[in-house]
Amino acid sequence: MTIDELAKGVQEGKRRHLAKAITLVESNREADQQTAQELISKVRSSKETIRVGISGVPGVGKSTFIEALGNLLIEEGLKVAVLAVDPSSPATGGSILGDKTRMETLSSKDEAFIRPSPTSGTLGGVAKRTRESMMLCEAAGYDVILVETVGVGQSEFEVASMVDCFLVLMLPGAGDSLQGIKRGIMEIIDILVINKADGDQEKMAKNAVTEYQNAFHLLTPKYDGIGVEFLTVSSIKKKRIDEAWEKIQGFISALKEKGIFEAQRKEQELNWFKRLVEDEVLRRLWGSETNKEKAAELVEQIKKGEITPVKAAYDFLSSEISR
Amino acid sequence: MSDNSSGKENWKKGVEKLLKGDKAESLNRQSPEGFEIQALYDSEDVSNRNVDPGYPGEFPFTRGPYSSMYTQRPWTIRQYAGFSTAEESNKFYRQALEKGQKGLSVAFDLATHRGYDSDHPRVVGDVGKAGVAIDSVEDMKILFDGIPLDKMSVSMTMNGAVIPIMAAYIVAAEEQGVSTEQLSGTIQNDILKEFMVRNTYIYPPQESMRLVSDIIEYTSEKMPRFNSISISGYHMQEAGADSALELAFTLADGLEYVKTAVESGLDVDAFAPRLSFFFAIGMNFLMEVSKLRAARTLWAELMKEHFEPKNQKSLMLRTHCQTSGWSLTAQDPLNNVVRTTIEAMAAVLGGTQSLHTNSYDEAISLPTETSSRIARNTQTIIQEETDITHTVDPLGGSYAIESMTHDLKEKAKTIINEVMEMGGMAKAIEEGYPKQKIEEAAAIKQAGIDKGDITIVGVNKYVNEKEDPVDILDIDNTGVRDGQVDLIDEIKAKRDKVATKEALLAITEAARSGEGNILDLAVEATRKRATVGEISTALEQAWGRHTATNQTIKGVYESVYKSDKGYQEIKSKIDAFSEEEGRRPRILVVKMGQDGHDRGAKVVATAFADMGFDVDVGPLFSTPDEAAKQAIENDVHVIGVSTLAAGHKTLIPDLVKILKKEEAGDIIIVAGGVIPVQDYDFLYEAGVSAIFGPGTNIPKAASKVIDEIRAQKA
Repeated sequence: MTIDELAKGVQEGKRRHLAKAITLVESNREADQQTAQELISKVRSSKETIRVGISGVPGVGKSTFIEALGNLLIEEGLKVAVLAVDPSSPATGGSILGDKTRMETLSSKDEAFIRPSPTSGTLGGVAKRTRESMMLCEAAGYDVILVETVGVGQSEFEVASMVDCFLVLMLPGAGDSLQGIKRGIMEIIDILVINKADGDQEKMAKNAVTEYQNAFHLLTPKYDGIGVEFLTVSSIKKKRIDEAWEKIQGFISALKEKGIFEAQRKEQELNWFKRLVEDEVLRRLWGSETNKEKAAELVEQIKKGEITPVKAAYDFLSSEISR
Repeated sequence: MSDNSSGKENWKKGVEKLLKGDKAESLNRQSPEGFEIQALYDSEDVSNRNVDPGYPGEFPFTRGPYSSMYTQRPWTIRQYAGFSTAEESNKFYRQALEKGQKGLSVAFDLATHRGYDSDHPRVVGDVGKAGVAIDSVEDMKILFDGIPLDKMSVSMTMNGAVIPIMAAYIVAAEEQGVSTEQLSGTIQNDILKEFMVRNTYIYPPQESMRLVSDIIEYTSEKMPRFNSISISGYHMQEAGADSALELAFTLADGLEYVKTAVESGLDVDAFAPRLSFFFAIGMNFLMEVSKLRAARTLWAELMKEHFEPKNQKSLMLRTHCQTSGWSLTAQDPLNNVVRTTIEAMAAVLGGTQSLHTNSYDEAISLPTETSSRIARNTQTIIQEETDITHTVDPLGGSYAIESMTHDLKEKAKTIINEVMEMGGMAKAIEEGYPKQKIEEAAAIKQAGIDKGDITIVGVNKYVNEKEDPVDILDIDNTGVRDGQVDLIDEIKAKRDKVATKEALLAITEAARSGEGNILDLAVEATRKRATVGEISTALEQAWGRHTATNQTIKGVYESVYKSDKGYQEIKSKIDAFSEEEGRRPRILVVKMGQDGHDRGAKVVATAFADMGFDVDVGPLFSTPDEAAKQAIENDVHVIGVSTLAAGHKTLIPDLVKILKKEEAGDIIIVAGGVIPVQDYDFLYEAGVSAIFGPGTNIPKAASKVIDEIRAQKA
């Protein structure tokens, strides 16, 4: 398949082509990376899209929630892409990707595209390829992109930095989970959903909402005049999933009304540009053999007390920065 | 006793002399169950364990539930069978009964198990395969034509669609002029283990438990000679559980059912005597004998402790056994006759009440007439040519058997206590605990076999270089389906439509409200000629279909295998591929059709991931369309189709066709599982690149898959 054929297929919304294109952006081969950039520059989305990040600890029911939400969106006539990012898979060796077994009805629908991705050893990390995959899905005609990530480590921040709306799922039983929620995470949440609010847990979930509302009250809002939204759902019983969608839409309209929506996407791109440059500079700096040798030399000198760290840094940079 | 201890010291010295310096204890082995198997047991071992097996027919029934056991009447030879249409199966049953079989055991096809009529689009490849297709009471009547149901004890392996099948059986009998009071037999009705291992459930767990309890209620009132449930460990062992896990989870399931029935208002003595059990008997001869003895002892103790029944019969564990299907090999299949004989002996010496012996060709395909005959004769020979039935519990009092019975019982008790702490078996299953334990045991065992630590003759040792093909029974799946569809159309055209609809609505209503007995209502609907699929759908409308959360394990296979040189070689080969390709080889492991046996798929998934593949696991019960879509979206290099229920000749060609249509013909397909050699050419012709039969060494398979991907790219 030539690059033009691939681009054309993506633009026409062909599943096979979109999947191959994502493989290309995920590839660890440098040559593929260049082709991928060429491909991305050839495709673009022609419609308005919504990007939603969905996070939560393992066992909170992310897949079940996405299954319910995705099916609802399809009923409303939308096309849904789900990109699943799992940073918890090991750095070496293969991984088992079982997401679709948990999104059984959604995964069989024509209007849905679900792509779970292993993380092992990707150039540029999780963020890079997910961002580009997202753009490819938009070009292929998907209206809503759901980016799923496990709520451990850095991945929430990375995902939050590429979506319009960041939704976090929590379990009922507020007291415990409030302690589990990381300070930094609270600041990036747009919508907080208590899942598994069914049967005995319904009341507990409602109490949790109150506790979270109190806790969030103390925070400076992420956007002026747009507060964090809270609600309880039961993904398994498909209860109040429609409300969740209304909240997402409400949040997006508020962003648009205030003129934040486009500005935020632009800003994300600029930040992304800066991040890429920084990453690449660092990669080249530490990747070059002469630099490695020079640095090793200086490290030895510092250890022996022959040179101060500051002087060493100046020496290193003055010899290399000009290149 | 002092004589005894010096005797033991002397024995040790003797052994150590033979071992040229090694300790006698070095001959002890660690069992997979997690306790030590001693090289020698003596009277001290028995007295230290405080073992007194007592007498057969007396609490705690270690030596047998009945006092006379086989000396009065041997166990029931009950061969599980069914295939194709009701007519064909009926013919087969009648022949078997003439040849010395004593009870019937019906195998249903997977479409029926999952509550689909034969005309449903999801079951195209499953109809009439691996069991008989039953869509309505009309099929059931044909199935038992000329077989008097007031005299014949009938066992039915049904869990998912248990309601419409029980109803069809009851109405078929009714129309034969036989009342419910006269019916004898067993319905498996064990839904909990379906959520753990066999996966032929339909509704969510809680709702399914309501059905179990409705059936217990119905039978305790109207079917006094019928066993309302057969609590099954069989499928756990088949899925990889060791004897302790099988024993513990089965008895824990049993306790959960008793609890549910008691909570629904039944008196424990009204139904507990009609509970029956079902265990697998594998190749660990002494362990399996001990397992049945331990099962009876532990059940009696647990029932007494938790439910305090007044009737002694409520404490008695009665069981059916089946020889292990997993122990059968596709290679050198006549060896399976020997394996089955040894297993049958263990079941009998353990004191089973009825027994199924497998046919030697079951690792390859459905049994033929010849293989079925030999399987049946394995039992008649033990019953009538040997003296085994002349003495009750002949191994009772053996130092080894009594000690192992005790140790296994204690081990199982520990596991049951863990389950109890989690809030019982239903809760434990919800958390995925038993499933994970069993899958770990399966992965460890597979690694042991692949590595050669565990011997399987003809597979990893003493391999027969030149295999003769074995005759197989092939079912014309399409023909069976067409016939079934015609019959369904005929029934639907003739019946009173309004009456059927009302009867079905009543079922949905009862499911929603929680009121009424659903079996009672289903019997009514069946009289009105509602089909199996329609009754299942009526319940589904209220409850939905259950979707399993599929957990997968990682690292267990590698933990056993790591040190092996061959294993490291395949890992490097995969790493090299990843380096060149820019990503890891990616495989979709998928099961298509309604077969829920996923041990093979799970073991392959976890082993391949450990070796360095990225493995996508497909949902159970996929259609070829769904499998193709998933393979394409995930852009896998290869699809691994796991097949055990003979649907491959319909489903795999479909998959190939769909891939081609979607411009994804370059995705390689490999197949694994129970595939007769006779089908290999057909599948290669259809586009399959490699076929891995039972007993395949997994690292070798992985290596082959990499070669195939490279060949495709070249």
